[in-house]
Amino acid sequence: MSYVPGQPVTAVVQRVEIHKLRQGENLILGFSIGGGIDQDPAQNPFSEDKTDKGIYVTRVSEGGPAEVAGLQIGDKIMQVNGWDMTMVTHDQARKRLTKRSEEVVRLLVTRQGLQKAVQQSMLA
Amino acid sequence: MEFKRGRFRLSLFCDTPEDTELQRKLDHEIRMREGACKLLAACSQREQALEATKSLLVCSSRILSYMGELQHRKEAQVLGRTARRPSDTGPPDERSPCRGTICISDIRIPLMWKDTEYFKNKGDLHRWAVFLLLQLGGNIQDTEMVLVDRTLTDISFQSSVLFTEAGPDFELRLELYGACVEEEGALAGAPRRLASKLSNSLGRSSGRRVRASLESAGGSGGSSAASPILLPTPAVGGPRYHLLAQTVLTLASVQDGFRTHDLTLTSNEESPAWLPLYGSVCCRLAAQPLCMTQPVMSGTLRVQSWGQVHGILKGTNLFCYRHPGEANAQEDPLFTIAINKETRVRAGERDQTLGAPLTLSISNQYGGDEVTHTLQMESRGALQRWMEALWQLFFDMSQWKQCCDELMKIEVPPPRKPPPALAKQGSLYHEMAIEPLDDIAAVTDILAKREGPPLDVPPHWLALFTEKLPTSKLPIHAPRSPSPPRACPGPRATPWGRPRTLSLDAAPRGRPPLPPRSSSSSSSGSGSPAPRQRSPPAQGFRAKARPWLQSPV
Repeated sequence: MSYVPGQPVTAVVQRVEIHKLRQGENLILGFSIGGGIDQDPAQNPFSEDKTDKGIYVTRVSEGGPAEVAGLQIGDKIMQVNGWDMTMVTHDQARKRLTKRSEEVVRLLVTRQGLQKAVQQSMLA
Repeated sequence: MEFKRGRFRLSLFCDTPEDTELQRKLDHEIRMREGACKLLAACSQREQALEATKSLLVCSSRILSYMGELQHRKEAQVLGRTARRPSDTGPPDERSPCRGTICISDIRIPLMWKDTEYFKNKGDLHRWAVFLLLQLGGNIQDTEMVLVDRTLTDISFQSSVLFTEAGPDFELRLELYGACVEEEGALAGAPRRLASKLSNSLGRSSGRRVRASLESAGGSGGSSAASPILLPTPAVGGPRYHLLAQTVLTLASVQDGFRTHDLTLTSNEESPAWLPLYGSVCCRLAAQPLCMTQPVMSGTLRVQSWGQVHGILKGTNLFCYRHPGEANAQEDPLFTIAINKETRVRAGERDQTLGAPLTLSISNQYGGDEVTHTLQMESRGALQRWMEALWQLFFDMSQWKQCCDELMKIEVPPPRKPPPALAKQGSLYHEMAIEPLDDIAAVTDILAKREGPPLDVPPHWLALFTEKLPTSKLPIHAPRSPSPPRACPGPRATPWGRPRTLSLDAAPRGRPPLPPRSSSSSSSGSGSPAPRQRSPPAQGFRAKARPWLQSPV
């Protein structure tokens, strides 16, 4: 998932639709994110390319809305409800996911092995 | 066709139930309009006046639309009585496609500021109030009003709008209206200034007439072939909304995802409420035809190798349950037969072991194989009904096209909250004439942005800054700095308003960035940022102090 600056990024993505769960005052999704253009990408344990500053899923809580929707730990989030997440700060990413007015978030996520899985299924 | 005079009149004015419903809606809108006029007259603050004007415009447009519809219906009644319409004697199997629900959500309109305006952010901050008016058939709905200024890259509307009873040939008209938040006198050209002067000195009613005539002379230049939905404003003296852009969306634009559509810009730079629109609108337009959400047909069937089942035809599937109770209990069906555009249905006599002639066979292609299910009906009447239901379903699918491939999810939007009491955000902005030192502004910027869920108690660290800031001429307003993002309906408006970037504002370009700070300046250093892309405000400041951040959401 490395990229060349200035060139378009292509990736095989999966759609994940998460319905937020209401917990008291808050709407939670049940996962944690890491990364961002303001963070140090070398410390990201999930990325294939250690210069990738994208937003990654670092933890998925058991039985939470994210797990139910099919989000997996290590997924890289590319888009949330149409908003790009490949070039955002950590805080911008957190905010885009936790908008109080939205009860459903539609993510596009990519993970290692998706590209390969698609290629294999096409050959079969 | 003879009618006695009296009876003709009676029949002309005899209202059908739909007409009384329409009349009731019309009366409601007229009352709302009167209320909005009164509210507008009583308004003191500009923002309240803008909201009231918006309600007034929406009511006016709805009235216009209902009156047009009533007129049309009366005409149709008259025509129907005097001439036999060809469609009445037409073939009985004229099919009409099923209705559906259309939902448009997550609407976002990008703006195109000049980069000098956006980054330098000098001078008075002009603000605009914008809203969208959406019309489908006779149904007019509006979004909330959003305040826009040059620190925003897009206009985003949080609300989603739902239209029921739409046909596949629907036309959803989208119109963007904007008005300046500041008083128009300072900005507008001479004729308007003259008009306001005249209207002030001539007295209310004559001044109003003068202004109305000047406005109608000047304002009609921008209309294109389709006239805008709005009625001209009764010159009540309030803020005036101008049509900035419009577009029409149809079935071809429907997709279960986000798409960008083109906008036709209708105002030019001379118009007082002109906004630099990029020319497109991004939204999610989803459609749910009724045939996908409601069962079209159900009944008892006999299927070979499965025996007697209860079948329910819904959407792209024929679900077969053991008995009707199972369907209600929401259990998994015994088996499912797919019904889609490629399915072939044949009725009639087939040579099979059950021996009865009332059969229907449904064939689907799965890969290279063709799978055929043979359904046996109880009676000829049942066979006719099932065939009819299937033909109607196929017709609906051909009309609704991509909407029938898969069910698109539509959430019923929660009832819209009344517009929050607008805090004095504008005056806060203009009163702040500070020249912040790099670090303080950067830090307070971050703190203001990191506010997240609204804090009832100001955090303890804020005291540090409330002591510092008064020295830079800001006594009272500083403690309120975290709260405006909560009260203000617009997204991303920071109290300082400038998206600060270390690389552009601080050190000269030549200095190599330090590693912890590289994350903020490298994103802008690797290429000159396009005006629409935002560099993060000094987040490198934080990265230096912390390890790789993880946040729960």
